[in-house]
Amino acid sequence: MIRMFHVFKTFPNKVSALWDISIHIKKGEFVFLIGPTGAGKTTFLKLIYRGILPSKGQVIVDGVNLSRLKQSYVPFLRREIGVVFQDFKLLYDRNVFENVAFSLRVTGVKNAIIKKEVNEILNIIGLSHKKNTNPHLLSGGEQQKLCIARAVVSRPLILLTDEPTGNLDPDTSWEIMKLLFKINIWGTTVIMASHDKLMVDRAQKRVIRLEQGRLVSDTMKGVYSKE
Amino acid sequence: MIRNLFFYIREAFFSTKKNGIISLATIVCLTATLIIVGIFLIISLNINIFIANLESQLIAVAYLTDDLSQDEIEKLVQNTGGLEGVKGVDYVSKEEALQRLKEDLTEHKEILAGIQENPLPSSLEITVYDSNYLEEASYQISQFKGIEEVNYGGQLTKNLLIVFEFIRKAGLGIILVLLFVSILIMFAVIKISVHSRQEEIEIMALVGATNWFIRWPFIIEGFFKGLISSLLAFAVLGKAYQYFSGQAKEIIPFISINLEVDFALRIGIILLFLGIFIGVFGSMLSLRRISYEKL
Ligand SMILES: Nc1ncnc2c1ncn2[C@@H]1O[C@H](COP(=O)(O)OP(=O)(O)OP(=O)(O)O)[C@@H](O)[C@H]1O
Ligand SMILES: [Mg+2]
Repeated sequence: MIRMFHVFKTFPNKVSALWDISIHIKKGEFVFLIGPTGAGKTTFLKLIYRGILPSKGQVIVDGVNLSRLKQSYVPFLRREIGVVFQDFKLLYDRNVFENVAFSLRVTGVKNAIIKKEVNEILNIIGLSHKKNTNPHLLSGGEQQKLCIARAVVSRPLILLTDEPTGNLDPDTSWEIMKLLFKINIWGTTVIMASHDKLMVDRAQKRVIRLEQGRLVSDTMKGVYSKE
Repeated sequence: MIRNLFFYIREAFFSTKKNGIISLATIVCLTATLIIVGIFLIISLNINIFIANLESQLIAVAYLTDDLSQDEIEKLVQNTGGLEGVKGVDYVSKEEALQRLKEDLTEHKEILAGIQENPLPSSLEITVYDSNYLEEASYQISQFKGIEEVNYGGQLTKNLLIVFEFIRKAGLGIILVLLFVSILIMFAVIKISVHSRQEEIEIMALVGATNWFIRWPFIIEGFFKGLISSLLAFAVLGKAYQYFSGQAKEIIPFISINLEVDFALRIGIILLFLGIFIGVFGSMLSLRRISYEKL
């Protein structure tokens, strides 16, 4: 589903965020992307949804080489990829329902279908009762859930989540984890960037570790700590 | 498509409401500009009418002696028409001349009461292509046999034409400058509105909105702002024009100020078109360079 071949990313300010990354993530996998702050996790995710292009090397998503993808096709790639951003990126001028509906509206889905799909996903996520609430009135955990709802409402092939359990208590974190597992079981490939040792150790999934932009380990059923 | 249109319109209104002050400022600015453009338009269209009137006075009238035969008159018409710069020649018979005089004097019929024989001469009315030909042509005609006298409009008409032509050109120049300025204003204001929604635009792009999907609400916003502004400008101008033209008529009664419906309609359509053009064009311009991918 996702392949990277010798990917380098150097920002215009000469910061080298990723260095010679090659990786293969299969369809339906659940992968943790871990590493200390500044290791390049967010950069790694941006490469996948074509928020940025690699300086060198190839990124291939669902068989498409992103460096060769025409600008006008980028929106259609992004419709296949749900993203939960580290900084949420919620729209604080509209309610929970509209935030989730937003990602369907931009693709021109019928109103009746939007209503059905959004209500369904809010039910699964457990935010139905807050449907008409403004996002800034939600707790941190609820905002995370809302972000997940928005990312998966269009049933993407890939879900990228950037530290979805950062700053949450262990119980809420585990609740979020269970949600992500559920989405993964539907067939969605999930990549989760995380610092959360507790969750990574408990989940027993594939763990890719970055350090200063380099891929230092890639283990099945891995744990957070080095050795 | 229709579904999207509703979404665009809703988003446009949403954004107009959210950026209330900026929206208001835009509409006020645009209305003011359109009013000024409208004033110049009115002046310049009135001058056009004036010039047309004056140009129609660019005729020479050659009075004929009473003893000419039909053949001689025809010959005179032909010869006059052959002169350089002459556009047309109209023969006005004695009877026609009298008829005209009667029409002009409907309010003072008593003047004609005592007249038994038609005292008016027949004449040729000669129009020319350009006022410069008037003098020479008049001289040539006066040399023809059977011509009693030739009269033509004087230097005053010529000078007035030059002045009005100048005012008209200056007015056009001012309109163009104002148009340019108002597009810049629209551009800046929509840029602010785009800027204040940068985050939203970014999110749209991230969840897979195409560039056009992102642009349409802004373009529609520009469209409606242009529409509203031009309607406002038209209303204000209409009232002011009515008032001032009434005043002007009292002060200088011979000025024929145009108050007709189709004149107002023409101004209205021009303003509407301009307002919408400025609104939409300003939006497009400010959207051209926003980055949909900036993260
Ligand atoms: N747009 C950018 N321009 C310049 N440098 C950048 C940019 N984005 C990221 N970097 C740099 O690239 C490096 C990797 O950043 P990245 O955000 O990928 O780290 P991270 O692993 O997500 O960190 P964290 O755990 O704190 O979120 C950092 O040194 C960062 O300063
Ligand atoms: Mg990060």
